[in-house]
Amino acid sequence: MIVKGRIWKFGDDIDTDQIYPGQYLPLTDKKEMARHAMEGTDRGQEFISSVTRGDIIVAGKNFGCGSSREHAPVSISGIGISLVIAESFARIFHRNCVNTGLPILMLDNTQNLHDADVLEVDIVTGRVNNLTRGKTFQARTLSELELEIMKAGGLLAYLKHPG
Amino acid sequence: MTIIEKIFSRGAGKQVAPGEYVWAEMNLVAMRDFGGPNVIEEYEASYGTHPVFDPDRVAITFDLHIPARSEKVAQNQKMLRDFSRRQATRLFDVNTGVGQHILLENGLVRPGDIVAGTDSHMNLLGAVGAAGFGMGTTDIAGAMYRGKLWFQVPQTIRIDVQGQFQPQVGAKDLILHIIKRLTTSGALNRAIEFTGKTIERMDLAARLTVASMVTEMSGDVGFIVPDERVLDFIKSRASGTVLPVSPDAGASYERVFDFDVAALDPQVACPHSPDNVRDVADVAGTTVDQVFIGSCTNGRYEDLQAAAQLLRGRKVADGVRLIIVPATMEVARAAVASGIYAVLLESGAVVTNPGCALCTTGHPGILAPEETMVSTSNRNFVGKLGKGAKVYLVSPATAAATAIKGEITDPRSI
Ligand code: SF4
Repeated sequence: MIVKGRIWKFGDDIDTDQIYPGQYLPLTDKKEMARHAMEGTDRGQEFISSVTRGDIIVAGKNFGCGSSREHAPVSISGIGISLVIAESFARIFHRNCVNTGLPILMLDNTQNLHDADVLEVDIVTGRVNNLTRGKTFQARTLSELELEIMKAGGLLAYLKHPG
Repeated sequence: MTIIEKIFSRGAGKQVAPGEYVWAEMNLVAMRDFGGPNVIEEYEASYGTHPVFDPDRVAITFDLHIPARSEKVAQNQKMLRDFSRRQATRLFDVNTGVGQHILLENGLVRPGDIVAGTDSHMNLLGAVGAAGFGMGTTDIAGAMYRGKLWFQVPQTIRIDVQGQFQPQVGAKDLILHIIKRLTTSGALNRAIEFTGKTIERMDLAARLTVASMVTEMSGDVGFIVPDERVLDFIKSRASGTVLPVSPDAGASYERVFDFDVAALDPQVACPHSPDNVRDVADVAGTTVDQVFIGSCTNGRYEDLQAAAQLLRGRKVADGVRLIIVPATMEVARAAVASGIYAVLLESGAVVTNPGCALCTTGHPGILAPEETMVSTSNRNFVGKLGKGAKVYLVSPATAAATAIKGEITDPRSI
């Protein structure tokens, strides 16, 4: 499964309050939620106004820490992000991504991935190709069980017909 | 085996090892007034009116926006009540308190249980040896349908604590001190076992304080082996057999951290991170606009008592708002019965109905930009309680001392 997109670079410890500010928690409509993706970060407005479908978020350590709100991955995929690459993910956020079908990859060092670089990534093998700089990296992928859940279309679909 | 390995071995019906991915049976699935409506929408979109796996093991709690503060919230709450009626699940309405505490007080959680809920601090159930997990709405919808979820069995870190606390120093100061050393990502994807004489001596309220802040180190869950007092608390409320839970003598730990609390001074997590921890003395004198005592971390009777001890016969400083929120109605009633409720009111505090309150922006009491609050809650991220507001995390004693002086104050100086 190949995705291709431009990088939006973020730092360490981006918590779910930054990804999806608490004031929008009562929203239940996924389209409305998507309008607030990454709004609480320091480049929230810029992100929301110019992100394009297929773009890739690259972040540092502990991406998605903080509260368990699933609005966070749902808003990110809703606004068109195709993949999140981070050095590490918070546990609940990681789960929420698998369960809702937002692809993620773990890359020990994201220093060589710069804002606005264009990447081509194989989500299953973990091969990350930085087209802008002509460099290739190997990321850690999800486990077999997690990929199965994602391929089934998320946890709820999977549980209807468990493999 | 460590505690989490034993619990998952039972839940998965086979012996498991760290790193392994397993499907495990749930003992209880919980949702709350926020997050809960999304769970129901997802559940019904996928499974329609299909009955939940076991109505007695599905609980809905109301603890965040209570009573409803807007039409949208009221609608969400109605949706939960209607669902609960249709599916015959358990429901604890706006007159009860913080969900995890309500599940404990109602005997729905026993040592060794696996519990999934929509709150990120579900893991405070580790205080009684249960594996509580905060989960997203999809997980909870799936768990309600099948009664099982997927997990990666985590490694376990052991945190051993020795020594006697100084007066006015306690569980909150300890856990802040631990977070300072491990940092906000120090227990990522790990279980923790808290051991040692200092932990063993703790009452349930103190154990809950410690276990509730494992989330702030990104830990999955932090266990404390239940003692007689904790087992008695559970046995007097839970049905069925209540068994203790403990690690094997030869259990293997990824890392062991040692702490000694004898010289520990009151601690404070400064803006804007729970691991930005210093001695209270280092920031003493910082003026504050508001003080909050409550939350799942410090809303037990013993926490209110610690505050009341300092507030008795004293007044909240001019220009400072002190907001106190008991964790549950049972706590509030005990405070009324013992007279400390009156002490809190006399001091000039606003005491509101039990719930989560000023842990997040849902509750009245939110701050204006640039205002400063001292709080006994568990998080002080940017924007959590208002844009530009600064939040300092402390113990109930330090919070009460600060309310009296109007500036951050070491409780030993009162
Ligand atoms: S007080 Fe805050 S962290 Fe605790 S249960 Fe309530 S919302 Fe969650």
